[in-house]
Amino acid sequence: MTEKMAHYWDVYKKFVSTSISVETSFRTSFILLIFMDFFFFFSSIGSVSFIYDHVVNIGPWQKDQLLFFLTFMLAIDNLHMMIFSQSFWEFSFHIKTGQLDYVILKPMNTIFSVFFRHFRASSLFNTPLFMGYLIYYGIQVNLSFLDWTLLPFLIVLSLALLVVIEFILSTSMFWLTDGMGINFLRMQMQQLGRWPNFIYQGFIRKVLTVVLPILLVGSGPVHFLFDKSAWQLLVTMIAALFILVLVLLVTWRIGIRRYDSASS
Amino acid sequence: MTTPLIKAHGLRKQFISYKKNPGIMGSFTSFFKRSPLIKDAVKGFDLEVKKGEIVGLLGPNGAGKTTLMKMFTGIIVPTEGELKIIGSNPWERDKNFRKRIALVMGQKSQLWWDIPAMDSFLLLQKYYEVSDERFQERIKKMSSLLGVEELLHIHVRKLSLGERMKMELMASLLHNPEVIFLDEPTIGLDLVAQENIRHFIKEYHRENECCIIITSHYMQDVQALCDRLVLIFDGEKGYDGTLEDFEDILGCDKSVTFSFKESQDPNQQIFQGLDATWNEDHTGVELRVPEETLCPISSKIIDQLPVEDFATEKLPIERVMKELMNNPEILRARKEKEARV
Repeated sequence: MTEKMAHYWDVYKKFVSTSISVETSFRTSFILLIFMDFFFFFSSIGSVSFIYDHVVNIGPWQKDQLLFFLTFMLAIDNLHMMIFSQSFWEFSFHIKTGQLDYVILKPMNTIFSVFFRHFRASSLFNTPLFMGYLIYYGIQVNLSFLDWTLLPFLIVLSLALLVVIEFILSTSMFWLTDGMGINFLRMQMQQLGRWPNFIYQGFIRKVLTVVLPILLVGSGPVHFLFDKSAWQLLVTMIAALFILVLVLLVTWRIGIRRYDSASS
Repeated sequence: MTTPLIKAHGLRKQFISYKKNPGIMGSFTSFFKRSPLIKDAVKGFDLEVKKGEIVGLLGPNGAGKTTLMKMFTGIIVPTEGELKIIGSNPWERDKNFRKRIALVMGQKSQLWWDIPAMDSFLLLQKYYEVSDERFQERIKKMSSLLGVEELLHIHVRKLSLGERMKMELMASLLHNPEVIFLDEPTIGLDLVAQENIRHFIKEYHRENECCIIITSHYMQDVQALCDRLVLIFDGEKGYDGTLEDFEDILGCDKSVTFSFKESQDPNQQIFQGLDATWNEDHTGVELRVPEETLCPISSKIIDQLPVEDFATEKLPIERVMKELMNNPEILRARKEKEARV
C-alpha cells in the first residue's frame, strides 16, 4: 500500500511540474489568470459586504459569520481551481476527440489519471490571500483552539465532497460525449453551494442536502464550527462522501466500458 | 509449442450512430427523433500471434483495423468474442497488462504539446516505474537510433511531423513493452522519415524480440517489416499468411513495363485485357500479363510497336492490394475454395 501511495505521489509530482512547465510557457495568460482569481475573490467579498451595509443579519448570521463562511468557500474554490478545475474541461475535450485513449492505457487508476492530471500553478499565487482572509474572519468569529485544529481537515473534507459530486456529474460525459453542458451544470452547482443552506427552503434544500449534497460542502463544517450541536451535519457529510465514492466507482466503471473512442 | 501472445476468437464490435439530414430542419428533426444506425466495425475476427512475430494488418479505410487495435489494447470493449493479450482480458485493464503493452497512433499524440518531449518522457518514466539508470540508457539508445538527440529539449509543437512521430515512438517504448501496436506510424511522413522509422522498428524488434502488430497504408512498411500479413475487409478477415503467398494470390501474373519512342493509342487491340496503366503522354505503359502468355505478348508488342525499352518483374504488392481492394470477392472465392479443399 505504501509503495502504491509512493508511486501515485511520484506521478502527481510530475503532473505538477509538467503543468507548471506548460502554464509558464504562456506568461501573459499566466499573469491574467492570477488577476482573474484576485478580482473574483474581491468581487465575492465586496458583494456580501455591500448587502450587510443595508441589513444587520442574513438568516441567523451576522456580517463576520457570513464572511467567514464565504472565505471558507473561497479557500475551497482556490484549491479546486488549483488541483482539479482544468482537468474537468480537458476530460470533456479528451472524450470528444478520442485523446482519452492514451490516458486509459496508462498503468494507473483512470480516475486519478483523468482528474489529477492538470495543476493550475497560477492559483497558487492567490492562496496566501485566500487563506489570510479565512484566518482573519476566523479570528473575527472567535474560533476556539479546537476549531483552528479542525479547520484544515474540514477544508479537505469539503473539497473531497465537492469534487466527488463533480466527478460523478462528469462521468455522464461518457454517455453525452459533449461535456460543455455538464461543465456549466457543475459550475452552477458550485455557485449554489457558495451560499449558506438557510438561504434555501423546503424541497430544494432537501434535494441539495440529501440527493446532491452540495449544500453540505460549506454549510456542514461552518455550522459545526459555530455550534457544536450541529454535529449531525458533519456526520451526514462523511456518510455522503462515503456513499458518493461508491457511486463514483460503479458509474465510472460502467462509463469507461461504454467509451467508444473517436475515430482517428 | 509457443503460447500465442495475442489470441482472438470470434471478435465483434458494434457501433451505434445515427443519421442526420443536413440543414436546420435536419438538426431539429434529429434532436427529437433519431434513427439508430448499427454498424459491425469488426465481425467474427480470429487471430493468433506468437512472440517475436511482426504482423501487418492491412485493409482499406473503415475496414476495422483501428477498432481492432483499440480492442487489443483495452481502450474499447468488444461486443462479443474472446480476446487474450499476454494472458489478460485487455478491457479489464489490469495494471500489469498495461505495463506490458504499447500503442502508437499516427494520428493521435500522447506527448504534451507545450513542453519538450523530455518532460513527457520523465512523466512516463514515473507512470511505468522505470529506474533512472534504465531510463537514461533507453533514451540514449533510442534517440541515437532515431537521430533525435538534439531535439529532446525542444517544445513538441515546434517539431516537424516526422520528428514528432519519432518522439511518439520513444514515448511508447520507454517501458520496454512485450507487445507493440503501431497504428499507421508512418502516415503523412516523407520518404526519408518513413525509412528512418522502419529502420528503427526493425532494429528495435531485432534487439527486443517483441511482438509487433502494425497497420499501414504504405506497402513499403509491410514489405520492409512484416513476416506475416492479415487483410481485413469490411470488418472480416480476408487473408492471413506470408508475404510470399500474398504476392501469388492473383496467380503468377507478371508486371511488364514498356517505353515507346512515340505516343501510342491506348485503345489498340493489343493492350486489351491486360489491365494497362499508362503514363500521361502515353509513351509508357505497365501491363499485367499471365506468366504463360508473357513471351508471345511481349514479342508481339516489340514486333508491332516502336519499343524503346521494357522490363518484367513480379506483380508489385501494391497492385495485388489494389486489385483486392477493388474486388474483395477474389478473397472470398479463395476462402471458399480453401474450405472445400
